[in-house]
Amino acid sequence: MAPRVEPAARAVPVADAPGIELVARRRLLLSPVDAFFRLHPGDRALVKEGEAVGRGQPILEHFREPRTLVVPGSGGEGGQQLPGDRWTATNGRANREGQVAADGELLFRSGGRWRIASGERAEPLESPVAGVVHEVRPGAGVTLRSTANAIIGRTVLAGPSWGKLQVATGSDGELRAQHVDVGMAGSIIVAGARMDAEALTRARAVGIRGVVVAALGIKEQRDFLASERRGRAAVHGLPPFGILVLDGAARRPIASPLMTLFEAAEGGMVAIVGDPPALVIDDPSVRLPAPPADLVRVRSGPLAGAEGTWAGLAGPRRFPAGVTLEAAFVRFGGRPPVAIPLGDLERFA
Amino acid sequence: MTTVPRALLAIDAGSATVSVALLGKPWKRWRLLGSLAAPAGAPIAELASTLALRLISTDPRMAGELAVSAEGAADLPRLEAVSTPPATLAVLGASRRAVGLLESVAARTPWRLRTASPESHDPREMTELALRPEVSAILVGAGDPPGPDERGWLDDLAGLVGAATRRRPELRVVLAGPVAARPAWAEGAGRPFDGSQERIIEGPPLGMRSGPDEPLREILEGLLPAAGSRHTAVRALLSLADSLDRTIELIDIGLDGGLRAMASPGVADQGPAAVAVRTAQAALVPRDVDDADVDEVLAWTTGSLDRHRMGDRLMDLRAAPWADVSGEGARLRLAATRAALSRLDAHTQDIAGMPSPDVTVVSGGAFAVAPARAVALAVADTVRRPGTTQLANDHARLLGPIGTIDDPDERRELVADLADDLLAPIGSLVVVAGVPSGRRGANRIGRITLDGDAHGRHDLVSGEVAFIDLAPGDRALATLEFRDAVRVGHRARRISVPVSGGVAGLAVDMRDVPLRLPERRDRRRAALAAWGELAWPGDER
Repeated sequence: MAPRVEPAARAVPVADAPGIELVARRRLLLSPVDAFFRLHPGDRALVKEGEAVGRGQPILEHFREPRTLVVPGSGGEGGQQLPGDRWTATNGRANREGQVAADGELLFRSGGRWRIASGERAEPLESPVAGVVHEVRPGAGVTLRSTANAIIGRTVLAGPSWGKLQVATGSDGELRAQHVDVGMAGSIIVAGARMDAEALTRARAVGIRGVVVAALGIKEQRDFLASERRGRAAVHGLPPFGILVLDGAARRPIASPLMTLFEAAEGGMVAIVGDPPALVIDDPSVRLPAPPADLVRVRSGPLAGAEGTWAGLAGPRRFPAGVTLEAAFVRFGGRPPVAIPLGDLERFA
Repeated sequence: MTTVPRALLAIDAGSATVSVALLGKPWKRWRLLGSLAAPAGAPIAELASTLALRLISTDPRMAGELAVSAEGAADLPRLEAVSTPPATLAVLGASRRAVGLLESVAARTPWRLRTASPESHDPREMTELALRPEVSAILVGAGDPPGPDERGWLDDLAGLVGAATRRRPELRVVLAGPVAARPAWAEGAGRPFDGSQERIIEGPPLGMRSGPDEPLREILEGLLPAAGSRHTAVRALLSLADSLDRTIELIDIGLDGGLRAMASPGVADQGPAAVAVRTAQAALVPRDVDDADVDEVLAWTTGSLDRHRMGDRLMDLRAAPWADVSGEGARLRLAATRAALSRLDAHTQDIAGMPSPDVTVVSGGAFAVAPARAVALAVADTVRRPGTTQLANDHARLLGPIGTIDDPDERRELVADLADDLLAPIGSLVVVAGVPSGRRGANRIGRITLDGDAHGRHDLVSGEVAFIDLAPGDRALATLEFRDAVRVGHRARRISVPVSGGVAGLAVDMRDVPLRLPERRDRRRAALAAWGELAWPGDER
């Protein structure tokens, strides 16, 4: 399905909503995106600064089983002797421990012997987005600049990955394992408010490439990461898979401005990158609607997830537990305005 | 600052909160006319404008005299303290012991720490740590001469750090010992260390520490900008102590770290003096929440959250420190504050060992929401020493901005004018040590008599906290009488101390020093709940 193109929402001037500037503003989009991919010592960058990179192109190579070698003498071929230089074994020469390694990165020399970061089973990391290599820092990372739009989240687990965006459930939905369909294989799915560890495992198993959720608890994060480590250590490894968490740990629905963006981009190719934590939208022609300027969302507290319109500052008010907080009036639907602590509100930009 | 402006803004821009206060000089003294706090990032112009509108609606004549208008409020002269997120320091040593010694010094600075030694990390992992972009500096140290546990790894350490300096020309290094003298350093760095590189600083070597390592701490603090409110607040504290002629302790807990400082007024030719420790270890919520952090907060809660749910709540608190501040969230925040205060106390034992100050000022968003009695109890629970102190809150966060005034006379003059407005009185806290424990249950061991603006006599029970009404502005002489000798400053059976009132009144803490809480979780929660019910009624079990 081709991405839908929608006209921009009518924006209410901020001047018509005095005091709203005191509400925490949440940025939805970022462009350009400087995606950072970490290079551990021993990893090898496969691209150079200024080089154009396509999606799926390997940009770095890392070891699935990294370790430190101790090699006597001057190092490898070509007499390279500077920290950070690549090292290549000459004639399959074993190191002091009798291990044979193909290549690695010189760390430092001490007592006439080089410490080298090397390892087993080098595997490439493919770029999830197209862009231009902005910076390569051996031992630190590769920065890729993309001119695409990116929807900003709170954090990313695993990844990077890419696929077709599919909205699998509503903003307040919760995708259970039995509803994770093999027909979603190859997609990055928008999975609603929260997803449990079992559903995440099934999503990976059926070939889904990534998940976007509003919240993911600490237990689910740890369970998933443990499963990820076990999978990566296995012989065949794992295909790319990433989780973009939009809000935090406590359950709440996906904010409507974000759902609108996902619906606008649905069907097109997207990517999950970890730094910054974001969903990158490939197609620059997708019109991403701006949220109404007077829309406010309750991000925490008893009304967490509710969305309404700004109705002005309410001054200091008393709230449960006897605390006095600066508050604002928010109108939910046709009901009279309700006083909400300013700190519990967010607006979008 | 000149004498021409009659209104100005005092701004404290922290990691979680931006606070704006409107100061005016309607007559001969500067006064606090209003203050407002909002989540970090809120436009200062909007906050200033809101304050101006409130003044105009309350006293339009004064607003006119001071030339305060909604449109022009943002253009008023400013005193501004801006805090930056803590930078990351990699602490490396040739042994776990050496790293521990270095870490104990570095933990008493605002640096966020990452530690590694060959006993816990291999060279690849240590190199990765040194090369991380977020690591701004490395602290590497060894004994002089190196200890037996260091000798085997010292050359490797020197080569590793030397190589890191070559690969990251912007990296700063603090050497606490003869690391750069090793040949491997020159091989890694590409040149021998000759002291000419400004970014590589020599400090004192590790040794058998008998006290805080001030020289090394000073070097580490010197690498950081001194513009944050936790730096400037200490200068204002000095002025306040001198102006009031009182010893004052300042305790600040913020999202990214804490401050504990003790200032004493000048005597004869000596000016006021202060000792201060700023530490990232006393952050309200650490940046990466782990099980130990969760357990520390759970230890201060009385609710029924399990470890996973508490971890979720702490992660969300870290991400959005202004969110969920009412109801259950308010109590969670105070539990996290207690955990942070405990960490602050652990890292400031030199200050904890000083006599009880005349005044204890608390500052920071952690204390802004909870009721006054709950704040008094939180301080009594964690920052504990026998004696009497008057508790107050820097409610408008003025100390940081006032501290940006360089001229000590100007600063003192402003502080003297604002002293009454700057400090919101919480009350007085009397902590009794050497309390005899009862054989069974509560044991009446003494009584307190108030004589002054308030009168009364109250029994004192072992193991309890008594809150006695004493309104803001009231003063009294409190006489404590016991059957056996106890310690309140000095050891005696009968002690008289002046006390002053506040929103919390007078708190008399009979739980002894140190505070011993039951090991069993259910009994600990029951004890905390019982005391908490006095301070914050409606505490959930």
